[in-house]
Amino acid sequence: MLRELALIAFTILAQMSVGAFLVLGVVKFFVARKAGQEEADRMGDRSLIAIIIVLGLGMLASLWHLGNPLSAPRAVTNFATSWLSREILAGVVFAVLGLLYAVLQWFKLGPIILRNIIGWLAGLVGIVLVLCMAMVYMLPTQPAWNNLATPISFFTTTLLLGVLAMGAAYVANYAYLKKKNPGCADQQCELLRNVLRWIAVVAVILLGIEFVLIPVYLVSLATGSPQAVESAKLIAGPLGLTFLFRMILAFLGAGVFGFFLYQNAQSAGREKVLSYMAYAAFILVFVAEVLGRFIFYSSQVGITL
Amino acid sequence: MAKQLAFYFDASACTGCKACAMACKDKNNLPVGINWRKVFDYGGGGWIQHPAHPEFMIPNNVFVYSTSTACMHCEKPLCAEACPAKAIFKRDDGVVLIDKDLCIGCRYCEWACPYGAPQFNEELGVMTKCDFCQDYLAQGQNPACVDQCPQRALGFGELDELRQMYGNINAIEPLPSSDISHPAIVITPHKHSQPSGQGTGRIIKLPEV
Amino acid sequence: MTEKNFLTKALTKTALTRRSFLKWSAALGGTAALAGGLGYGLKAVEAAAEQAANEGKWVPAACWGNCGGRCYNAAYVVDGVVTRQKTDDTHPDSPDFPQQRGCARGRAQRHRVFGADRIKYPMKRAHWEPGGGDKSLRGRDEWVRITWDEALDIVASEIKRISETYGPNSILWGTEAVGAYCGYINTWGSTSSGTWAYTAPRVFGSQSTMGNDRLDMRNSKLIIMWSTDPTVCSAGSPAYHYLLSKRAGAKFIFVDPFYNWSAQVLADEWIPIRPGTDTAMLLAMGYVLISEDDPENNPLIDWDFVNRCTIGFDKNNLPDGADPEDNYKDYVLGLDRRGRVAAEGHKNYPPKTPEWASEICGVPPEKIRSFALEIAQTKPVAFMEGDASARINDAQTMGQAFTAIAALIGSIGVSGGGFGQTRHSAAGNRGPNLISAGSANTVLESLDNLCELRINNNEFWDAVLTGEYTSAVNEKTQVNIQMVYHTKGSHLQTKVGQARGIQAMRKVEFALATDFHMATGCRYSDVVLPVTTMWERDNYITNPNREALFWMNKVVEPLFEAKDDDWIDRQLGLRLGVYDPAVEEISDKQQSFNRIAGATVLAADGKTKETLVTITQEDLDALGVEGTPQTGLIPVMEYFEKGTYQVPRKDGDNFSYIANQAFREDPEANPLRTESGKVELHCRVLAEDIYNLGWSKIRPIPEYIPAKRGYEETFSDWKNKVKGPYPLQMYNKHYWRRSHSEFDNVLPLRELFPQEFNMNPIDAEARGIKDGDMVKITSSEGSSIRRVCLTERIMPGVTNLPHGAWTEFDDELGVDKAGSDNYLEAPVPTVEGHSGFNSQIVQVEKWDGPRLLPDSQWPQRIPIKEV
Repeated sequence: MLRELALIAFTILAQMSVGAFLVLGVVKFFVARKAGQEEADRMGDRSLIAIIIVLGLGMLASLWHLGNPLSAPRAVTNFATSWLSREILAGVVFAVLGLLYAVLQWFKLGPIILRNIIGWLAGLVGIVLVLCMAMVYMLPTQPAWNNLATPISFFTTTLLLGVLAMGAAYVANYAYLKKKNPGCADQQCELLRNVLRWIAVVAVILLGIEFVLIPVYLVSLATGSPQAVESAKLIAGPLGLTFLFRMILAFLGAGVFGFFLYQNAQSAGREKVLSYMAYAAFILVFVAEVLGRFIFYSSQVGITL
Repeated sequence: MAKQLAFYFDASACTGCKACAMACKDKNNLPVGINWRKVFDYGGGGWIQHPAHPEFMIPNNVFVYSTSTACMHCEKPLCAEACPAKAIFKRDDGVVLIDKDLCIGCRYCEWACPYGAPQFNEELGVMTKCDFCQDYLAQGQNPACVDQCPQRALGFGELDELRQMYGNINAIEPLPSSDISHPAIVITPHKHSQPSGQGTGRIIKLPEV
Repeated sequence: MTEKNFLTKALTKTALTRRSFLKWSAALGGTAALAGGLGYGLKAVEAAAEQAANEGKWVPAACWGNCGGRCYNAAYVVDGVVTRQKTDDTHPDSPDFPQQRGCARGRAQRHRVFGADRIKYPMKRAHWEPGGGDKSLRGRDEWVRITWDEALDIVASEIKRISETYGPNSILWGTEAVGAYCGYINTWGSTSSGTWAYTAPRVFGSQSTMGNDRLDMRNSKLIIMWSTDPTVCSAGSPAYHYLLSKRAGAKFIFVDPFYNWSAQVLADEWIPIRPGTDTAMLLAMGYVLISEDDPENNPLIDWDFVNRCTIGFDKNNLPDGADPEDNYKDYVLGLDRRGRVAAEGHKNYPPKTPEWASEICGVPPEKIRSFALEIAQTKPVAFMEGDASARINDAQTMGQAFTAIAALIGSIGVSGGGFGQTRHSAAGNRGPNLISAGSANTVLESLDNLCELRINNNEFWDAVLTGEYTSAVNEKTQVNIQMVYHTKGSHLQTKVGQARGIQAMRKVEFALATDFHMATGCRYSDVVLPVTTMWERDNYITNPNREALFWMNKVVEPLFEAKDDDWIDRQLGLRLGVYDPAVEEISDKQQSFNRIAGATVLAADGKTKETLVTITQEDLDALGVEGTPQTGLIPVMEYFEKGTYQVPRKDGDNFSYIANQAFREDPEANPLRTESGKVELHCRVLAEDIYNLGWSKIRPIPEYIPAKRGYEETFSDWKNKVKGPYPLQMYNKHYWRRSHSEFDNVLPLRELFPQEFNMNPIDAEARGIKDGDMVKITSSEGSSIRRVCLTERIMPGVTNLPHGAWTEFDDELGVDKAGSDNYLEAPVPTVEGHSGFNSQIVQVEKWDGPRLLPDSQWPQRIPIKEV
């Protein structure tokens, strides 16, 4: 049970930090083009702290499930054949590059172009990380995991949590800016509303992907090998309530709150409501994704003796 | 020097007595919860009314046979491929071993193995599994399970030679298909043995708590 | 299992190095350190197991279970602790000259010797006082350590007090000293053999001269295995012998309620039969053979044997004074004295047709018929039976009916034939021993037991509770039992009526037990004395079977304060004044040596007995014993090192044994030890002796008697087949986890062999029970709870609760939680006073109470916890 929690924490937090980092980078790119680098940095750089912390927590959680954590550094040595080794390597590189980018950004070290290159590199490695994480589970002995649904859902989780986490982060960043320096807030407010609208749209699209993927996945399980059928039975049976809850929360968070987020982001003056929407959407979807990942691990029925 | 050591299992002689499993537990001092060698009763069938005398219930293809399985020391050891710390390796003689000093206890090999061979030892914090009694082999002795079997249903040797003597069967229910990891084992089937993946029965044992 | 993450581990990890182990050893008095294990119960062993090979020593050892095997189980000893075992490797293995390989139980033997639950020193119950104190706390009290002197003084004074207060016949069971001082009541009645114990000697002259040896059994064309599962019940070699018979071409048919583990390897066919209904089927088989036999065109009956070697087959062959209607043939065919089909109400009514039998036994009639024809038409046929069908109430006729079929089909006295009990150390391999130990030449003579009273196994708990027992036909006698001495025999666990036994144990004034673990007898006693295991003694000499002789000596010194049974008895006897302190028995070592010095082995001619060992004066000095040099086959020190000598066998040697061959050839010159000298299908002596025991009156022929607590009693209305309150039959298969009740506490065996209650899925479904559910099994005696393992291997209507689990009676829940067979078993004295372990009826329902942990996770019974 403890091991399960550790892996849920690690995969969710790591994927969220990759997603957030990617969203941060993309938003920065477009905001910089529209309103200049300074506004873009002002909007996004504080989130880097949160991303680094979240990633750090995730990696700590991954150590928790080891029987012999002091030997963890050895875990990168078998990248020739082991996806787990590759995942850890990618994770370490992503963390290093991400941290480097964060430090360079905060202290404004080096030319912007260098910082951006490092940032994009980190993002790329982040994508590789999520891919490796998915491949770890694509074992021939794990029918419930060994299909396309795993990488697809890992990436949708990454991006969904990424956009909504950043939504919350941008809202918090705006509140902080307004308190500190009310004068510059107006420009940020408009940027914020624009970004939030995009975030809402992307969230709804990703939700749609999930809601299509999941039934297709369940059907493929139910018509698969004996172990896959067992997994399907677990999801429908003992995990059924959890599954229902997961879907409802995701719908509420990304769908309903996403819709309201979009609505409220259309016009100015509704910053307070906007922040509630953003936080609520993020929390609901975060819980939904955690539940989803819990179901992922709990429905494991491997080919084994 | 052997190329691929393998176990031989005669399912037609195995009574499911688990003396082999206990011999392994004893020799390797395995605690409750860890069994490097396991024995499964696999069976099925049912009871139906006698066609001519409906007041009698008669067995309808009731069958049971037992299977003793340890580590298969696979030709394609998925555990070794999966291990991030290179703690699992395959020797020149085909035996697959876990180096306890390198294992980090991530249990990924446990997910990768189709036979449930690597098992986590909580005391040591590392994975453990059948090592073909490599210390006994080094002294020219047989694995403990082979020597214990009162039915002489277990043997071992060079995989090619075993195949020449006993045939090519390396998978029966409840073992998984041998296509997954190419286990180094030769099996003489029981008359009721069913091919992997086409079983009509189940493992007869208490479900987990 | 609770998962321990790395943090918990880091905080609690104790590196058990060799040094720390030795330190504990010393601190605890120089013997092995024992403490609560981490999921294994053997903490010290983990460290010791890391020792290099040259730091320990292999010592020959054997198992000592009452399973018939007692196989070779050498022990690797490091610093007084056995860290691993191995089975027989004293000679290369071959089918003709096989190693004595053991089973899972024997391989776990070191857990019994070194388990954390080993009783270390004498103890008394915390709330005991002379007279009993709070007797209701027996079974759930705390324990207090006492010295040996204290313990023996308590025992001696209670024996004196009780025998003075209540007179003779007040102590149940005892040892030589108790017997010599005031006498103790013994119990009687066969257990393992069931009704064969009485039947075989009277009908056939002996129990042991029925089957052939293992090499001869390779000549069988057909082997019938009736209610026997040698791979479990005589684990070790016997199943292998049968496998070799199969490979030599024998066909196997199993007749059994359960498609057992021997059947899965050997059976060409399985005939499911309800427990306790064997006599009906056997009589119907006789009906088929007699009615369809045609000596010219379709010979089914061995008339030569029947005419020359049996009495009682028909009315022309009866002893003087016998009722002419008491003959086998007329009874089976249902004929009266005039040879006409008897009317209803006549004692030979009805004809024992397959149709009649099938209603009772559950085997379809044409299967009974085809089976009878097959065994009559195939030769040679071995007609073997495993005693389970004799452990049935009212079943003494089964043995006689079984013998009758064997006589009819020509199994007796022929190569490839044989019949009857395939059991214990002779399973699949009968015959006189090829090697035997000599005499111990002890100095002291045994003292007699002053008490001659013996109470039947089915009555003694009631005797304690009600104060009376059956002494003769229609006669009860008073008895006032106030002390119970649980010594060898585990009676409280292995005799029927345990539910009453627990009540009885809470009634008597004093109870004591000797054992190495807190088994059932200890639990319900006031004083517990720790005894040594066979690995801590010299003089363990045993024939695992006819071909080998083990000579085992101390593997380790006695652990903690454990003492030998003999030492305990002597100390008690000195206190009671029955032994002369000046005169002592010779040591176990000397006795053991004497037996080996006198050991003989058959020479290759199969007749001459040769001395086994050569002894020189150097040998005597090395062993530290007295004796005279002699010449033999092998040097005694070689035997001492190996611990075993096995007679090599091969096809065509002179060691084969064909039971009763001489009798068949000339019954007058080689009579059986029956009253008539022949096989008695009409046995006057059997009927008379059984009547005099006081419970049943039976006819001298194998009449069908519905078993009490048998299939018929599952119905409240037999005719209309309306089930009663106990609609399911229950029996108790032997199981690899235990040898009777031994080994039940060993953790790895509890893990490998959970105490499952078996039901057929059809019966379970009717009760809404799914695989793995908790169920409550109820008999007229009480209830047990267990998890159910559904299997198609057992026939519908029948359930199996494996034999021998130590009761864990929960006073609050009011149920036994361990699945103790004898807790549910009603003691029903019938015919010859045997116990009907396999004739019990129960109801089963889903249990919604607290769920049990798996057996291997139950805490060990450690009476006094040490830090």
